[in-house]
Amino acid sequence: MTELKGRDADPAASQSAAALPGPTSAEGARRQGRASEGGMGRWVGARRRAARKQERLEEQDSAIPVELYGLRRGTVTLLTTLAFLFAIFTLVPIAWIVINSTKTQANIFETFGFWFASPFSFFHNFSLLFQNVDGYGTYIQWFGNTALYAVIGGVGATALSAFAGYGFSRFSFRSSKVLFYLTLAALLVPITALTLPLYLTYAKAHLINSIWGMILPSMISPVGIYLMKLYTDISVPRELIDAARIDGGGEARIFFRVALPLMVPGLMTVLLISVVAVWNNYFLPLLIFNVNTKYPLTVGLGLWSERAQNSGNAQLFPMVVIGGLVTIIPLIVLFLLLQRYWRGGLLLGSIAN
Amino acid sequence: MAAISTRELTKVYATGVKALDALDLDVADGEFVVLVGPSGCGKTTALRMVAGLERITSGTISFGDRVVNDVSPRHRDVAMVFQNYALYPHLSVYQNIGFALENQKVAKAERDRRIRAAAGVLGLGDLLGRKPKQLSGGQRQRVAMGRAIVREPSVFLMDEPLSNLDAKLRVQMRSEVLRVHRSIGAATLYVTHDQTEAMTMGDRVAVLQAGVLQQYDTPRALYDRPANVFVATFIGSPAMNLYEAGLSADGASGSRPAAVLGSQRLDLPAPVAAHVAAYQGRKVIVGIRPEDLVVSSGPGLVTEARIVEVLGSEQHVYFWLDATPATQAAAATDEPAEAGFLVGSAPNGMARIDPHTPVKPGARVTFTVDPERLYFFDPDTGQAITG
Amino acid sequence: MVPFLVGFVLFMIVPLVYAIYTSLYTTKIIGGTVFSGASNYTQTLQSSQFWSGVVRVIIYAAIQIPVMLAIAFFFACVFDLGVAKFGRTFRTIFFIPFAVPAVVGAVMWSFLLEPQFGPMVHLANAFGFSGTNFFSPSLILPSIIVIVIWEWTGYNMVILYTALKSVPRDVVEAAILDDTPLWRIIVRIKLPLVRPAIVMLIFLNTIGALQLFTEPLILSYFETGAVSANYTPTLYLYNTAIAADQTNLAAAGAVILGLVIVVISTASLLFRRRRGEFS
Repeated sequence: MTELKGRDADPAASQSAAALPGPTSAEGARRQGRASEGGMGRWVGARRRAARKQERLEEQDSAIPVELYGLRRGTVTLLTTLAFLFAIFTLVPIAWIVINSTKTQANIFETFGFWFASPFSFFHNFSLLFQNVDGYGTYIQWFGNTALYAVIGGVGATALSAFAGYGFSRFSFRSSKVLFYLTLAALLVPITALTLPLYLTYAKAHLINSIWGMILPSMISPVGIYLMKLYTDISVPRELIDAARIDGGGEARIFFRVALPLMVPGLMTVLLISVVAVWNNYFLPLLIFNVNTKYPLTVGLGLWSERAQNSGNAQLFPMVVIGGLVTIIPLIVLFLLLQRYWRGGLLLGSIAN
Repeated sequence: MAAISTRELTKVYATGVKALDALDLDVADGEFVVLVGPSGCGKTTALRMVAGLERITSGTISFGDRVVNDVSPRHRDVAMVFQNYALYPHLSVYQNIGFALENQKVAKAERDRRIRAAAGVLGLGDLLGRKPKQLSGGQRQRVAMGRAIVREPSVFLMDEPLSNLDAKLRVQMRSEVLRVHRSIGAATLYVTHDQTEAMTMGDRVAVLQAGVLQQYDTPRALYDRPANVFVATFIGSPAMNLYEAGLSADGASGSRPAAVLGSQRLDLPAPVAAHVAAYQGRKVIVGIRPEDLVVSSGPGLVTEARIVEVLGSEQHVYFWLDATPATQAAAATDEPAEAGFLVGSAPNGMARIDPHTPVKPGARVTFTVDPERLYFFDPDTGQAITG
Repeated sequence: MVPFLVGFVLFMIVPLVYAIYTSLYTTKIIGGTVFSGASNYTQTLQSSQFWSGVVRVIIYAAIQIPVMLAIAFFFACVFDLGVAKFGRTFRTIFFIPFAVPAVVGAVMWSFLLEPQFGPMVHLANAFGFSGTNFFSPSLILPSIIVIVIWEWTGYNMVILYTALKSVPRDVVEAAILDDTPLWRIIVRIKLPLVRPAIVMLIFLNTIGALQLFTEPLILSYFETGAVSANYTPTLYLYNTAIAADQTNLAAAGAVILGLVIVVISTASLLFRRRRGEFS
């Protein structure tokens, strides 16, 4: 059983204590960082790194020291290894797609999957994305479509969720409870069972192939509303709104100037979720679009996959690969950038209630 | 051999914050020692290090003659009552109390006996089947104590166990805690920010501020002989009045030494004057406890009463004295010193007087104070002046 | 408020009503559309194709969900306790598949599992399992399970991690002082306190699993043999509506499927309520 280490059981602490001879407080550490800023760009970067290091150290301080769990030696190594293996599992397909996007069609199938082969065809493959091969559709157009649907749909969903969530949270009108439970009930209804009827309705109303047919339903997000209501409950104090009302603000003004700024982190989470949902949506566009100029990336890639196997045009294979790669990059980048905004607690709140 | 002793105990967090600086402390077996101080003073940190929940940066902790730095909290035989009680929320009171015994694989019958015994001591017999969320704050606190005492530990730690209770309950529980302590007889380390709890409960009290031990003594000694300005104003409520004063050789009657407060002089009899002889001709800080001021109809310190609070059993007179208050008094509270919002001649002193003497706000009031009851401090270091 | 309500009605209520309406009619090639009452429903309910699909997704859900949640909970625990290094990095990596559309995920794995050229086959051969065909009827469902686990474990793990983090620190410290071994801390203290999150995840995952569609469809492009047109109920709906152009029948199917899923989901919710969750 590992026991608490000896005197200098906190080498990190004594190290940082030694490294910061003067200041004995977090303030002091930050002050030191700021002093070296001097208006130069790279010092700003250094300060951000220092702030992140600070966060990490604070996280360290607030976690229970591992040795208190009484684990056998090497358990930590074992667990780290397991996590590492799962990380490999997670990254394998991504590594594959990155590497194989540089290969010609023949090489994809004939050479070792996880290393490069000559000729290096990345740019050639990439250029194919701008062409309409065999009339099956142009990738770039699909990309534009997806971006359009995702941005408008995502932003719209966030806006609507904000309005509705705020409404449910801070207004009490007759039947607000009923409507809210109705919204939650909408969560229950399985999407696929709903999409088919939607398609049938569109068919009747001649809305097939309309981009609004794709965007508008995406803006209705019961999950988003639920999350925003939850977040508004927590982050916009009732007293604040009451005070603003007494001060004579119009409701719209109160919403935009007082409440909205406080709801921002929640909005970021809902935005992220909504954009991802629209970007990744497959079933709805599959049903309602039958001209490939309107396809989003998901449907387009699906089409190419099928055609690649069955139409004999082997060029489609590398196009599918590189198409897939270009599809996932924007979202992954978005994720990494917006990491600090998703409040995991918000995701959880929708779940654990 | 002390049951708990720390030597140069220091804690520096990974972020660089120094929470505790070289604490030396001894707790005898069966003693009830209180760690007291404003928030952030390091008292909880010290307690948690004794428990083993925080890593030690440097220094040692010993139980008896055994250094326990490297001993896991699981094996230190300490029990702890947490500030928020930390009860297992989904377990009943019975299961909460018995949890440690289950871990020790104590036989069911024996376990049952000990749980019921502990519950009996704390009056929890009827509540054994309930879950924590069905209990009141006071009941939860008792369950937390039950969970601790059932283990029959050699060291008992308590982290502000009463601060989440309402005022009346707190007073009641003070004696409860002491009663339990006496029946267990283990060395106890008790943390609080409330100086009243410290004074009424502790055999000895350690006053901390900003990670540094200020004084470690019996309550009586802390009150009568505070080591510095911080302890003087922290202990005793309402807080001591502090003023800047000069020491001069010529007094009102002949060449008797006196403390000069503003334009007024307080004669100092020979023993007192000898005590502060080293500071003759220099500035000092003079402390006067509110309870030591007596209204006089004759000569004394002339002040203007500003606010009079009638409590029934006594009166509080907030007065203005033509003297400079010592700003170090702000150090004893958590909040920064604020200028009174009634600027100009805001009250700068307070007296506790008998309930019958009529004092009108705005009128002049004269107080006398026994010079032997004056406290003197060095104006630069804040340390008490020792003769 | 108002735009949402309008949208809600438009996009949820109206289509549902229309679907029910459509399902009650039958379009014949000769003769036009005729009211046929419940005949579409009976046809669907009697279709063994439909039911075999239903049974299949239930089996699939019964395997995939526990395995995935076990993995997710395992890692969530590990990172919450801090008993592995580089926790933050790993958590970010595990979450990346959430950003990958199911289509792309299925495509990537199809290439990897491709029976003749896929790297995974080479790997299997190296381990002595020569001749494995991941797309064979016996292995296709496990392959789909692996793909879905790849896609969703990170998401579930993040949610469980957040739930675990909300267990008060001092309760765990009290357990440590009570000399509770780690396994007991996890099983008797942490697990019960995150039960609401787990139940909710089971609920959400079940709804998703019963609607399995994209992954089998994409795999069928790569290997038409293994995935039949009715492999899952949603696929059945899709093929009935689009490929066979029997929209009325499909409408009936959608209503039935919707009802089935609503029933199962509500059942799991009520089950949770009765067990009483800790709040």
